Amino acid sequence: MGIEGLSEFGGMEALEATIRFSGRRQRLVAHNIANISTPDFLQTDLSIKDFQAELGRAIDERRERGGGPIDLSSVGQSEPKQRSNLLFPDHNNRDIERLMQDQAENLMVYRTAIDLLRSRAEMMRSTLAGRV
Amino acid sequence: MYGSLDISVGGMIAQRTRMQVIAANIANANVLEDTEGNFSPYLRRATMIEPGDPTATTEQGRALGVHVADIRIVEGSLARRYDPSHPYADKDGYLMVPDINPIVEQLNAMEASRAYEANVAAAETAKTMMTSALRLLA
Repeated sequence: MGIEGLSEFGGMEALEATIRFSGRRQRLVAHNIANISTPDFLQTDLSIKDFQAELGRAIDERRERGGGPIDLSSVGQSEPKQRSNLLFPDHNNRDIERLMQDQAENLMVYRTAIDLLRSRAEMMRSTLAGRV
Repeated sequence: MYGSLDISVGGMIAQRTRMQVIAANIANANVLEDTEGNFSPYLRRATMIEPGDPTATTEQGRALGVHVADIRIVEGSLARRYDPSHPYADKDGYLMVPDINPIVEQLNAMEASRAYEANVAAAETAKTMMTSALRLLA
């Protein structure tokens, strides 16, 4: 794998899409937490399952094409889904544990993607240093 | 990512305002006169919180977040108390006093406090994410 293989490998685009998705999801989680005591508020969240399916399809499509950049135009663009809790009279889901779990999971995904992206950047840097 | 921090800060401001209103309700639970010295029992205040941030500059920013829409005076939030010796008592010995239940106010204060903490945790997460992203450049 040459220097161009490191950047066109597809991993960086997938990681970038994951970081964008996590950033978008963090805004929604913060929005849900900020409105935890707002009457009649319905929480919204992005579907991780849908995102993974879209990303998987984009990677498969690239594989079938035999390489090149991944088409990420439709990845992570799905509309947020509403969720309610019948236990509360106004259906606002006030399960703080679930919100904290969402936040912790999202942070872990974000950090993992950032760490992987950094290691890939390190590889590129090492390759460049080796060539010079 | 900065938008996420704005949302959490908006949530903290809303909960802090709510706590101020609760504190005002508890502090004025026995107030019967206005600043002019006239008989005017204190009426309970309630914080009206709504989703969205009208001060945001972008459409997305206005859709997300939370803000205090109004601090409403709860009309008629008075209770009748029997105290014939009181100077403001009517001919039957009753007077109108603020209808503020300290237990309800304490519960609301606890809820506001926990919600504030949750917003702080969300802001910390956003900060951690920003720091991780910035470390990519270092």
